[in-house]
Formats: sequence, C-alpha cells, structure tokens
Amino acid sequence: MDEEESLEISPKKSSLFPVTPDDIVDNALQNLSESQARRVTEKAADEIVKLAVEKRKAEYRNSAAQEEMNNLINNANLLDRQVGDYKINSTFETASGTTNVEIRKSPINRVLLILVALTAIALIAVTYLFFR
Amino acid sequence: MWTFFIIAIVIAAVLIVSRTTPWLSFRREPSEWQKKGALVGTLLKLNDSAFNDLMELYEKEFGPGPARYARRTYQKWQTGKVTAATQTYDRFLLQLPKVMSYDLKCEVLQHFLSEYAPKAEYSMDVTPDDWEEHLVPLLKQITDKVYTAKLPREVEEKLAWLSEGDMVAAEAILKASQAEQSKITVSKLDEEFVALKRILAETKLKAKVTHVIKLPYGSIKLKIKRS
Repeated sequence: MDEEESLEISPKKSSLFPVTPDDIVDNALQNLSESQARRVTEKAADEIVKLAVEKRKAEYRNSAAQEEMNNLINNANLLDRQVGDYKINSTFETASGTTNVEIRKSPINRVLLILVALTAIALIAVTYLFFR
Repeated sequence: MWTFFIIAIVIAAVLIVSRTTPWLSFRREPSEWQKKGALVGTLLKLNDSAFNDLMELYEKEFGPGPARYARRTYQKWQTGKVTAATQTYDRFLLQLPKVMSYDLKCEVLQHFLSEYAPKAEYSMDVTPDDWEEHLVPLLKQITDKVYTAKLPREVEEKLAWLSEGDMVAAEAILKASQAEQSKITVSKLDEEFVALKRILAETKLKAKVTHVIKLPYGSIKLKIKRS
C-alpha cells in the first residue's frame, strides 16, 4: 500500500516529447489489412525521409546564420570605427525561425549632448554674471 | 421627400446597431450549403503540386467542362466570394477521395490538419542566460498540442473517409512527423542563443534583437535583451 502511494506521488519523468514516433506508428498499424499496412508503412518511410531532409536543412540554416552573424559583428565594428551615422538591419533564417538584428548609430545623441552641455555652460555663465 | 430621408436614416441606424450588437444580429448561422462550400474553399488552398494533382483527377472523373469551371472559380470559392454548389462539394470531397491515391489523400488530410489547427501567437522578453527557464515550458505547451489536436467534429462527420483505418493511421504518422519536426526546429536553439549573446556582448553596437520561432501549432516572438 505504502509502496503504491509512493509510486503515485512520485513525479513522472517528463520530456518535451513524451510519445515517441515509433509508439505512434506501431499503434497506427494495428487493425489494418495487408495492403493498407503496406501503404501506411510507405507513408511512414516517406515522412522519415522528409524529416531527414528537414534536419539537414536546419543544420545548414544554423551554420549559415552563425556565419552571417559573425560577419555582421565584424561589419558593424568596422562601420562603427569609420562612420558616425549608420543603421544595419539584418534578417537571418535560422533552424528555429527568423532572427532580426538592428544596429544603429546616430550622431543625434552626441549633438544633443553637446547642446545640453553648451546650454548648461551658458546658464551658469548668465547666473554668474547676474549675481556677481 | 423628408419621410423617405428619415426612413433611410432609421434603417441605416438599425443595421449599424444590429451589426454591433450580437443579440440583435440578423445574421444567421451559415447554412449547411455554406459550410460545405467553405470546406471546398479550404480544400482548394492545397499546395500547388497537390492542387494540380487534384484538378487533373477532377478533370479525369468529371470531364473538361466542370474542370475548366473549377479552375476559373476556385479562387472565389477560397475567399468565399462564391459559395461552391453542393454538387461541387460532393465531387471534390466525397467522390474524388474514392479514386485518390493514398498519397494525395494524405496531402489533403495534412492540409486540413494544418488549416484547422488551433494556432496561437506568443511573445516574451528573454536574455541569452535565462531563455531556457522561460521558453522551454512554452515550447512544451505548444508541441504537446500536436498530440491533442483534432479536426473539427463537423469536418470528421462530413468526410467519413478520414475515419477509415489507413487514414487514421496516416493522421497518427503525420502528427508524429510534426512532433519530430518541432524537435528539429528547436534542436539548435542553444547554439542560436550563443550567437545572439555574442552580438549583444558588443556593447558599443547597442543591437536590438528579435527572434520568431515558428512551430506547426504556434509562433513565439522573442525580444532578446542583454543579460
């Protein structure tokens, strides 16, 4: 009894994909005629080939995206050293989806900072002259 | 003159109110004919290759005249601009499956599974260091839908051939394949996040990074921030 209870409350082993494809195909093949089973087996084989192709595609997309991202970093660093104002918008097709990276450098912030600094200096100067 | 004007205004007001107030709506549930027409429209959104196979078979079975009409009208059936006749529904969805190859029937089944799949869109903010903690439970939730997803009961009832033994088996195989596909999709996420971390680590570049993960039963939009 105690053993049964401990089994019930023990956490079940969970994974992202709890049912394996083999389980599903085995269940699917039950109660089929020979010709139906042959067709279903062929379909399963087709899907396995399709998945193998998808896996290769994902690997290719992954390595291509990694390379492109490295190039992006290099190019952005190069631009950052040479140009004061630029914007890069890059899109990468990765294994899991689409990544978008936006890198922007605008001189506005620097100009704004200079303006603020100049205004502050001017204000201090005016205040100093006024209260002298 | 004024009477007509007032009557027109009253009619317009009633129509506007009825459209915005559900319990006053004059619109009725779509009829059986409209539902069947919608099913034809959905079927004909098949990918190009399966669509052409289907139309070739349609021509072979029902002659060049109906096939020509179908090719001319299918876009209107898809958008619902024109509702397909019950005869068209019978031909496409009841008679053709009897002569379709198993592969084509599987294409149609896969198409219906995808069209009627409950898709959801999610968005979240993550960093390259905490993504697993936030993302993995959501990925599991989305991928689990593969095993529980079903065609609407109405579709299954109308299309009895979908419930035949070999089609039930096909559905199981297609779902297993979708689950494996999801597994492949997320298999490189850790490497992808390492690359994104490298971009975000270049602090002077101030990069804004977003990533969209696409799965058969949903997509997740990630805004990736520096750790």
